[in-house]
Amino acid sequence: MTLTLTGVGYRYAGTSDAALLDIDLELRSGEVVGLAGASESGKTTLCLVTSGLAPRAIGGLLRGRITIDGTDVDAWPMHRLSQEIGIGFQSPASQLSQVAGTVFEEVAFGPMNLALPRDDVLDRTWEALETLVIRDLADRDPRRLSGGQQQLVAIAGLLAMRPAHLILDEPTAQLDPQGTRLVTEALARLAANGASILVAEQKTEVLAALASRTVVLEAGRMVLAGATGEVLGDPRLPELGVTPPAAVRLRHAARDAGLDARMLDEVHAGG
Amino acid sequence: MIVRWIAALLAFAIVAGVGLVGFGNFLTGVDEGVFYDIEGANSFGLVFAVAVVMAFVVYAAVEYAQTRSLSSITRQFDTRTIVLMPVAIAINIVLGAAVASALKIPIYLDSIGTILVGALAGPIPGALTGFLTNLLWTYVVPPPFNSGAAAAFAIVAVVIGILAGFIGRAGWLRPRPNQPMRSLVVWAIITVVVIAAMSYLAYLGYIAIIGPVAIEVANSNPAFVVLGYLALALVAGTVLGLLYLLFARRDLTAAFVVVGGLLTGIIAAVISAPIAANVFGGVTGAGTDFLVAAFRQAGLDVANATLGQGLISDPIDKVTTFFVVYLIIIALPMRAKARFPQGERLVERGEASPTDDDGWRGAAV
Amino acid sequence: MARSGRLSEATAGRGLPDFLGRPGPTAYHRLNPLTKATIATTTAIAAVALGGLIGPAVLVAVAVVGPAIAAGVLRDLVRTSVLLALPIAISALLVNLFFFPGGEGELFRIGPIVATEEGLGLALEILARIMAISGAVTLFYLTTRPSDLVIDLERRGMGSRVAFVANASVQTVPAMVERAGQITDAQRARGLDTEGGVLRRLRGIVPIVGPVILGSIAEVEERSMALEARGFARPGRRTLLWAPADRRVEALIRWGLLAALVAVIALRISGRLP
Repeated sequence: MTLTLTGVGYRYAGTSDAALLDIDLELRSGEVVGLAGASESGKTTLCLVTSGLAPRAIGGLLRGRITIDGTDVDAWPMHRLSQEIGIGFQSPASQLSQVAGTVFEEVAFGPMNLALPRDDVLDRTWEALETLVIRDLADRDPRRLSGGQQQLVAIAGLLAMRPAHLILDEPTAQLDPQGTRLVTEALARLAANGASILVAEQKTEVLAALASRTVVLEAGRMVLAGATGEVLGDPRLPELGVTPPAAVRLRHAARDAGLDARMLDEVHAGG
Repeated sequence: MIVRWIAALLAFAIVAGVGLVGFGNFLTGVDEGVFYDIEGANSFGLVFAVAVVMAFVVYAAVEYAQTRSLSSITRQFDTRTIVLMPVAIAINIVLGAAVASALKIPIYLDSIGTILVGALAGPIPGALTGFLTNLLWTYVVPPPFNSGAAAAFAIVAVVIGILAGFIGRAGWLRPRPNQPMRSLVVWAIITVVVIAAMSYLAYLGYIAIIGPVAIEVANSNPAFVVLGYLALALVAGTVLGLLYLLFARRDLTAAFVVVGGLLTGIIAAVISAPIAANVFGGVTGAGTDFLVAAFRQAGLDVANATLGQGLISDPIDKVTTFFVVYLIIIALPMRAKARFPQGERLVERGEASPTDDDGWRGAAV
Repeated sequence: MARSGRLSEATAGRGLPDFLGRPGPTAYHRLNPLTKATIATTTAIAAVALGGLIGPAVLVAVAVVGPAIAAGVLRDLVRTSVLLALPIAISALLVNLFFFPGGEGELFRIGPIVATEEGLGLALEILARIMAISGAVTLFYLTTRPSDLVIDLERRGMGSRVAFVANASVQTVPAMVERAGQITDAQRARGLDTEGGVLRRLRGIVPIVGPVILGSIAEVEERSMALEARGFARPGRRTLLWAPADRRVEALIRWGLLAALVAVIALRISGRLP
């Protein structure tokens, strides 16, 4: 399933400046696309627009076309769109439904809302729990989990909707290193199984590990796009407010100091 | 449309009539030879409250019969409202329980959430917030927060929510800073006149029901003195805050806050007095019980003592609550307010969103 | 983590996990939640309508203590309901004992304050009523999970959005207190005075109340987005994973209790013995 944004722009309600302008983006099946940019560069806005929450849930004004396999989705209500595109946010706790006493009920929340037959709901829930390897958390109270675990529960809740695409807005931003590792490994597993993901991140290491393509935003416009390796190696990143991955910074520093970068690559590959 | 309103008014009249004639006071029978129970006259507020609720129900039923949907109600319940309601209910219960148990002062502070939801989303969400607050507070909330008395007052909370909804819809809580001094003075005079009129009417009604009573302070119990000072401090705080709004920020809405709070307080007192009197003998375990004791000491029976206590506590409580709600409304950024069903009425004129430009479109659904 | 092994084995299938919809330990627990709620409500209202001392006392024995013994919660019931009733009871006792106007049978004096016989009578009546109400409500609270009642009502046709509000409120109350506690600790570290007289405590509450309230309201935007992303705004009913069992005999019991309550209220209004 291909999700295409053509000439898309967006203005938040009550503002006159565009938060997004001239966005052309294609999300194809089975690929992980990274989204980088300084804070306030429009990453979250792009996630909201792509998932349909903007303007449906938060108002504001849209311009341009958004299509799924060529069909315009402007008239699709949110509950229909959420079965094609799932969106996860930074804050683990505020994604909890607050009506579930166990992780199982939390993950089942989405399918229950869709009024699917009971067996379908149960199947989807077990499937989502197993995909993220959190079956052993099924009877736990979601509010008592660690941040990383809560993010996994949130993502499982999205997967239970069986979306064709997942959009994740800085999933590790509020997590400690352990949580970050937990979530990144889970996402890597999803990617290896052919999931389609758009992941926005400040931590470019995460993008380097997961994304095949990366897009960089500045002031609401796309300024860089291409293979992740090239984009993250681009020397313009720091002035765009993005911190390149440590490996890239090391290579640039070595090159500036006159050292042979190939030695670093060998060390890196060996270690 | 007209059919619905007529049906609703009819329902109101029937329920009110039946209530006034037949219901009377809970624990005494109907007096012979008089068409209503004289002692039950205190319950007229409660009867009218029930009648208002029945009117709403009938209106909704007729609308459903006509259109097979309840759009006038569901329009007020978007996702944001539904997410706000549990937060509002929790605010009501936590603050109400804290004030009732920790601070023995004659106010309740258990309606901030109800009035906030009413103002932001409308009368029905406000009513539902109040209703669920009181029900959950008694039946479901675990100790130490739960209250045995709350469920009986559910209808009072419903009416408070409805009032707050209409007050919000009328734009009373829209910030109006930087008014020219002239219009401020004019509105201040109007407010004083309105308050004086309401107080006089309430006093007249009180006298008519109870008869002229000379309330003597039979003893100068130090506890009452301290409580009096406390209540004064709260009132002073609210008055100071309102004066600041009025003169430093030149915010005219301060006047509307006072009038809205007084109106809601008086109505709440009249409705809750018969419930408190007949179900609990006038006491609910809160700090207000001292006032009831004081009135009993002065010679009033249970029903009138609770009414007296209510007419003192409720206006103070509601004015304070409306003030707090207004502070919250001022503190919320436009983005947080505007998307609520009545959010546009709580926003300063001029903060409104710009109109669509060509090529830009809003949500289709 | 020791539970996980058991879980994977016991729920190896794809059906409803066994930790959902677990029946209660006793027959009373296993009653349908609506039945238990009806028992509690009719007992409470009947206690008020009956008035006097004997009526509420009988109600307490039959509708509160009896089922409590059957459900094995008597000790908890007594402790919790007494705690619940205590503030009202003390107030009622004091106010009515000492401030009953027109009372003539003087019992004793404390300075200028007189305790009267009539006042004692009324105070005892109110006490009996309060015990009945508090006992009935506590019995319900001890034998029923609130989420079970909400699920049952939803099955019978209550809107899923109302169910959401009810469930979320029950979870939010302790969550808000916890958050208030965290903010209190943070403020205390910055020198906030939380002890002392009432006025001081009042002044101390404001810097806590502000962040709790405003923070919770600010979260509403993000929470509602996350809910919409999971199909929350879809109109109509939703699927329930399970529902508490109901039996025909329980429906009869419920209607019977309601009829009895209406009868009691009718008798009261038509002016029988107080």
